[in-house]
Amino acid sequence: MVRPALSGAFKAIRPDAPPKKNRAEDRSELFDEKFLKTLEHLHMVSRKVFAGNLRAERRTRKVGSGIEFADHRTYSRGDDFRYIDWNLYGRLDKLLLRLFEEEEDLSIYILVDVSDSMSIGTPLPKLHYAMQVGAALTYVGLANLDRVAIIPFAGKLIDRMPPARGKNRIFRVFEFLRNCDIGGQTDLASCMKTFVTQNKRRGLAVLISDFYDPEGFEQGLNTLRYNKFEPFVLQVYDKREAEPNLHGDLALVDCETGETKEVTISKSLLEAYTAEHEKYCKEIEAYCTKYAMPFFRTHTSIPFDELVLKIFRSGGFLR
Amino acid sequence: MSFLGPIPLAVFAWIALGAGALAVSAYIIKMRRRRFEVPFTRLWKRVLEQKDANSLWKQLKRLISLLLILLILALVLFAALDPTLGAVSREARSVVVLVDASASMKAMDGDEGGKKSRLDAAKERTKALIDSMGGGDLALIMKVDGQATPMSRFSNDAPMLGKIVDGITASDTPADLTRALGAAADALRDRPNPLIVLVSDGAFPEQQLGLVTWTKTGEPVPAAPKAGPSAGTGTTAWNTKNLAAVDLSSIDVRYLPVGKRSDNVGIIAFNVRRYIANKAAYEVYVEIQNFGSEPAHRRLKISNGSNPVDTQVLDLAPGQRIHKIYAKLPASDDNKLRASLQPMEGAGGSDVFPLDDEAYALLPARKKQKVLMVTEDNLFLEGALLVYDNIDPTKVTPGEYDAKPALADGMDVVIFDEHTPAVVPPPPASLLYFHPTGENSPFKVTGESPNPHITEIDEGHPVMRWVSMSDVFMDRSNVFSVDPKRGESTIAYYVRDPVIVAKRDGKRKVLAFGFSLPSTGREGATDLPMRVAFPMLLVNTLDWFAGDTTDLLTTYATGQRQRVPLDGVVGATEAEVKDSAGVTTRTPVLDGLATFYASHVGYYDLAAKTPDGKTLAQIELAANLASTTESDIAPSTELTLGGKKLDAPEAFAITRSQKLWIYLILLAMGLIIVEWVTYHRRITV
Repeated sequence: MVRPALSGAFKAIRPDAPPKKNRAEDRSELFDEKFLKTLEHLHMVSRKVFAGNLRAERRTRKVGSGIEFADHRTYSRGDDFRYIDWNLYGRLDKLLLRLFEEEEDLSIYILVDVSDSMSIGTPLPKLHYAMQVGAALTYVGLANLDRVAIIPFAGKLIDRMPPARGKNRIFRVFEFLRNCDIGGQTDLASCMKTFVTQNKRRGLAVLISDFYDPEGFEQGLNTLRYNKFEPFVLQVYDKREAEPNLHGDLALVDCETGETKEVTISKSLLEAYTAEHEKYCKEIEAYCTKYAMPFFRTHTSIPFDELVLKIFRSGGFLR
Repeated sequence: MSFLGPIPLAVFAWIALGAGALAVSAYIIKMRRRRFEVPFTRLWKRVLEQKDANSLWKQLKRLISLLLILLILALVLFAALDPTLGAVSREARSVVVLVDASASMKAMDGDEGGKKSRLDAAKERTKALIDSMGGGDLALIMKVDGQATPMSRFSNDAPMLGKIVDGITASDTPADLTRALGAAADALRDRPNPLIVLVSDGAFPEQQLGLVTWTKTGEPVPAAPKAGPSAGTGTTAWNTKNLAAVDLSSIDVRYLPVGKRSDNVGIIAFNVRRYIANKAAYEVYVEIQNFGSEPAHRRLKISNGSNPVDTQVLDLAPGQRIHKIYAKLPASDDNKLRASLQPMEGAGGSDVFPLDDEAYALLPARKKQKVLMVTEDNLFLEGALLVYDNIDPTKVTPGEYDAKPALADGMDVVIFDEHTPAVVPPPPASLLYFHPTGENSPFKVTGESPNPHITEIDEGHPVMRWVSMSDVFMDRSNVFSVDPKRGESTIAYYVRDPVIVAKRDGKRKVLAFGFSLPSTGREGATDLPMRVAFPMLLVNTLDWFAGDTTDLLTTYATGQRQRVPLDGVVGATEAEVKDSAGVTTRTPVLDGLATFYASHVGYYDLAAKTPDGKTLAQIELAANLASTTESDIAPSTELTLGGKKLDAPEAFAITRSQKLWIYLILLAMGLIIVEWVTYHRRITV
């Protein structure tokens, strides 16, 4: 019987075929610099306020030489006369000093899942989609003088682009994303544990992944939470993963573990799978909502620019 | 239920077993699955864990799929056995339906209004008969006219047989009942319960109706008439009759009569001939009979081409037969003669059978031949030619001819007397040589025979008609070499030496005498001119050159196979026959005789051709019904065959059976579609 060709997130493989070069490895056409120009006016919103090292555009708890009024305090010897509020002295006959909010930078960590499962997807592998989103967020951070670091991970932290400031560093970001190693089996818990150990400066941790971790996603997210990072969770999936178009008797091979599962695809099975996939995504969303972690779910069919310009803004992640 | 399939049941059981085993093993063998890479099998696992709760149903579904396939297989194999509902009765018969399609079946009395022919009525009765057949009955339809033509095989497919019956058309020939009964008896040999049903108007000659024997196998054959003083011819006739008789023993023969009216006036003979002495004139013979039981009136019209020759009104008493001769009619350019009976107003003025109201004949074309004699004054030759009215002779001397060969242009015949020129006129001028010599001789001269006499002549050759040369004296004669492959033939021998030879040379004919005619100063001559054979030879030769033979009959009866002489044509193996409707058929030619069979009245062209398609000779023929049996259209409600009166066929008292294979195959196809749909919908997997 002639069956329709399978396409989408599932790739037919010959039983003894030699390993092919991953399609996701070709990242030469990944970034559109023209588009990044449109991101300049966006800012990443951090709900928490972190202490920074350098002066920047982020509010801090420090009171200093900013321009935005914060509070008054009683003058003490040695204070700068220029900040004495002479109006209050006229009314209250007390020397009170005006305090201003000092603006500092924000540490942003872009954690990109580069495991094998991210290499699957049509027409764009999830990995490419994730890298484009990561690069866009990085550019937004750099443009706002935040310290942005990019950390790809799979079974471990594969590489690291040190924190950088200023939007002129975006090309290093592109180069890093184009050349970083990819592949491996997802171990979110282990990777997050390593991450918090290596990065003592707290900040925004943008986690971009499909969350296809056999060991579960909870441990990794908890690690970030417990270590005072502000996790921002972005789940990327391919629509064909959620609604596969498969027929017949198949041996399904896990692209990360190599585990094989023989199935006979029926309509009811496909429906059950779709429901199960949706349920899994809802589990992640519910978990994030429960612990007040911003969560976004997107599939690769949503245009990348639409995600960044509309969805992130409407969700309050960018402004 | 019965099984009519050709496969023995034991073999069939093995086939079924094998096919079933194959189907089951196909389900048992684990299918090699296609491998597909997915990002996260954990989700599939979770789904399958839930689905495993339904594993029993899953297995059951697979079992249903297997059972479905086995059911389809069983249906197909069962269909192969050709199961038939309603057991084939022992009474089931093998029926040959003889449908009379002879000329008389064209009588337009199939219904009261005269719009249907007898054949239409016969077809309806035949179809009704087929419809009443039982499921076990098998019928074969055979058309009976001048030939017996099976139109189908033995079948019980009533619609198909009905369509075949509808396609039968009547011909213009008498029916050959003996041939049809023989063919039907042969077809029914060794078949159970044989039955012949004859659907006809009963217009058969008495002689054919008697050529049947009903003697059953094992019964003593009727004794031959005792030999006696006058029994010699009687015994021979008895033996001949019984040898030709159709053996219908053990065969039930029934008769279904059709036809209503009997009034008919028809031309039963029509022919024409030239006078031997005056070939520019001819006479016509026509014979007409009233076959009805009432007086009839007709207008008889004879025409030559488009020229009317004679018209007269005929009053015919019941059963009256008249003949008329039209003598000394002048020839015209058109050689087609036609006689027609035209209806008249009033009672007895018309009939329902128009086929025999027209008759056709052909007059061999004839004109005065221009003959050029190239001779020094030869009284014998010139005198002999003078007695023949149908030529226009001219004479030149050999010297004049050699000086101006164009003198022969436009001549039909050139006679070279003791002269063999290098230049001869082109065809179609025919040539007659007396004593040709040298390399210009039309036939190769191989020698000279002294004092020969004619020992053998070709009596079949037109030149030798009515001629005897046994006592002809010759001083000497040239001997020719004859090559039959080139169309040359010998018409007179001296022992084995050809002394008179003839040939066709394209469009002309050439005849050569090996000896000289007597003349002044000529030595070594013959006394042939003193014989009565000489003018006959010359007239025959000139007639042959003109393609005119009084023996040639150009009018034939339809339905009879005739051997038509092709005027000495040699080398042709087949001829083309083109009828008046323009339909061309081929017929074999053997020994210069073409086989001619006319199935319709009218004119025919017969052209003899060589294997490479070259036309050697072409003649026209006419065909008429000329059968009193067919013209006597009075239907016979009863028919006696070989002394036995034939009964009408009884209704077939056999339960109707129904072939099941088509329904089984349809069911199997339906199940295949169901299986296909359920497979693709993942219902049965």
